[in-house]
Amino acid sequence: MARGPATAPGTRPKMSAKQRRELWLGLAFVSPWLIGFVVFTLYPVVASFYFSFTDYNVVSAPRWVGLRNYVDLWNDPLFAKSLYNTLYLAAIGIPVSLFLSLVIAMLLNRKMRFQGVFRTIYFLPSVVPAVAVALLWRWFLNPDFGPVNQMLEAVGIAGPGWLADPTWSKPALVLTGLWGVGGSMVIYLAGLQNVPVQLYEAADLDGASAWQRLRYVTLPMLSPVILFNLIMGIITSFQAFTNIYVMTGGGPSNSTLVYALYLYQNAFQFFRMGFASAMAWVLMVITAGALVLIFRTSGWVYYEGRS
Amino acid sequence: MTNGEHRNAIPNDPMHGAAGARNGHGAEARSDRRATRVTIQHRRSLRLWLTTWSTVLGLALVLPTTAMAQTEITFWYAWGGSEGQALQALVDEYNQGQSEVQVRSSFVPIGDGERILATLAGGAPPDLITVWDWMVVPLGASGALTALDEPLAAAGVTEADYLPGIWTYGSYQGVKYGLPTTLNVYGFMWNKDVFAEAGLDPEAPPRTIAELDAIAEQLTVTDARGNLRRLGFFPNVSSIYFYAFGGQLYDPETLEVTIDHPGNVAAMEWLARYYETYDINKIRRFQAGWGDLASPYNPFYRGQLAMQEGGQWEVAFTRQYAPDLNWGVTTFPAPEGGRPDVAPVQGSFWVVPARATNQDGALDFLTWLTAPEQSARFAAALANIPPRQAALDMPVYRETITPELQTYIDMLLTGYVYTPPPLPVGLYLSEQLNQALAAVQDGTASPREALETAQRNVLRELEKYR
Repeated sequence: MARGPATAPGTRPKMSAKQRRELWLGLAFVSPWLIGFVVFTLYPVVASFYFSFTDYNVVSAPRWVGLRNYVDLWNDPLFAKSLYNTLYLAAIGIPVSLFLSLVIAMLLNRKMRFQGVFRTIYFLPSVVPAVAVALLWRWFLNPDFGPVNQMLEAVGIAGPGWLADPTWSKPALVLTGLWGVGGSMVIYLAGLQNVPVQLYEAADLDGASAWQRLRYVTLPMLSPVILFNLIMGIITSFQAFTNIYVMTGGGPSNSTLVYALYLYQNAFQFFRMGFASAMAWVLMVITAGALVLIFRTSGWVYYEGRS
Repeated sequence: MTNGEHRNAIPNDPMHGAAGARNGHGAEARSDRRATRVTIQHRRSLRLWLTTWSTVLGLALVLPTTAMAQTEITFWYAWGGSEGQALQALVDEYNQGQSEVQVRSSFVPIGDGERILATLAGGAPPDLITVWDWMVVPLGASGALTALDEPLAAAGVTEADYLPGIWTYGSYQGVKYGLPTTLNVYGFMWNKDVFAEAGLDPEAPPRTIAELDAIAEQLTVTDARGNLRRLGFFPNVSSIYFYAFGGQLYDPETLEVTIDHPGNVAAMEWLARYYETYDINKIRRFQAGWGDLASPYNPFYRGQLAMQEGGQWEVAFTRQYAPDLNWGVTTFPAPEGGRPDVAPVQGSFWVVPARATNQDGALDFLTWLTAPEQSARFAAALANIPPRQAALDMPVYRETITPELQTYIDMLLTGYVYTPPPLPVGLYLSEQLNQALAAVQDGTASPREALETAQRNVLRELEKYR
């Protein structure tokens, strides 16, 4: 593109007629995607920013109210509650699932019989549709008839009410979230297979123990993948919706009312699209803030070939 | 793509690569010719691209116009299975009975508001759709629905044709935005076998709140661990008791919101005692084990819940899922000085979107569909109650009436009928009531405080519509 006659500073390099044609042609060929992106993603995003400063119920014209939706958010106890629930689920759920999927991935990375079968078994739950999983877990965790409490009873523990009990509903959701560790497990597996064998050989020559090999070879080499899984974990858990909508609908007593669920209710049940748009933008800012924080503190991530 | 990639692509191109090689003389000449060919190919691609897109756009523009030319109306109904078939049979009959308007119907579940909002906000909504009752006034007050007053007057339909208290259902500030499809009314149901088993008179349901409390306690069973095995009663639809205790959610004359009405507060205090007596967490735990309501595992059918609020659909449901169940239905118990004849009505509506392309056709079909004969046949198929008096008297409906269904109908005809408040805030109000209940259940607010908060929030939300 930039190849061409040298130009004076401040002016754009001139394109030949052919180059211009090719540019247009290229744009024409990507236009289905471009149009789709602009119409179905970019426009709604920009529009929602505008709507967040309006009273808008979708069927009548938006009316400008300035910052009122944001002020209402600040004063809405359910907004705070839903944010708290979301952060709770993220703060407990992400570390637990990051750790568990890493452990499973390392176990499945060992040379053993039926390796492929086990990998399939552990990944399989991630393929089951979210709604089916949610319904399944609702019965697993049923206080009286569910297998979880029946197993607990077998060892003499009176199981809690799980999803029916405000104290236990969030831990129950974290538990059900572990069903999906297969997804990040597969990414870890790919990462583990990219760790060069010679590093382990060198460590062995130096007499490193298994723990030292893990601590000084595997984890540093895997750290970019851990960072990736962490970021994906944050994004998905901030947007958690489907399983909770199906399993609890936010109850009991708002104990599982997560951010996305409350946003959805405002948009489509209360017809408060302006308020919901404001919620979406606050979530965007929170997510971006969390990610900036993660990147700023990502000194622990080791990129091979970068000093 | 860059220049280089295009150049490299040409020799491998099965269409043009061979031609390029044949005509080529020297390296220089070949490169020039290639450049020309590149341009030609670009022109062809561009033409192909233009043709494709203009075809797509052209079709998109032409298709709706051809649909309009055929005096067709599009109609979304929200019933599947045998209920949907019954409605489809009515549609077919209408289509065959005349040739001016043809109804093209499809089954579209209502769900939450998403689909309805999307279709109404878009440029070309269907001509007739089914929505929940709580959507009618919010959508109507926003200008998304056609007012039905004039068309109904032209068709000679008046308030007297509808059951008492139903004409204003779906109206806001004197404008009628929809017609009820059928009516659902709640009654107080009790399990006669459980009554007899506990030594109670199976023909004597509680008539007062005090009797209800006593019987509920007597019928409740807990196991050795203190977990519930049977609940005598659980007040599920809280607004019923607001009205039974003499309260109201809004003033039907002035449309003023009255969530903090003293009657409501008294009812909420009674509810709070209930949650405390039976421990709301134990109740929730027990409820988690209840089966699907539309199945033989319905807790009332299985005797896990001895008394319950249940609508007239239970007449059909029990016939299907619990044919041996021995049950009765009556009006709701009320405290002394309260309302002993509360008839809570809910349902869905037919509405004509303001932007519908064929409103006249839709109104003609709607008038036909809601006429007594059709209304009676549809309500009979749904085991619901038709909203019109003349439909109730139709033989096709009368032959479906059992003594239990008659109780529900009597409640509608003679009781204190109340419907979801016809206010533009829709579900926001009922959600505020849920939040008030949650606060009382958690003990974070007194019944009065909780209702006052709900009242304040709803008033604030209503300001948006003034």
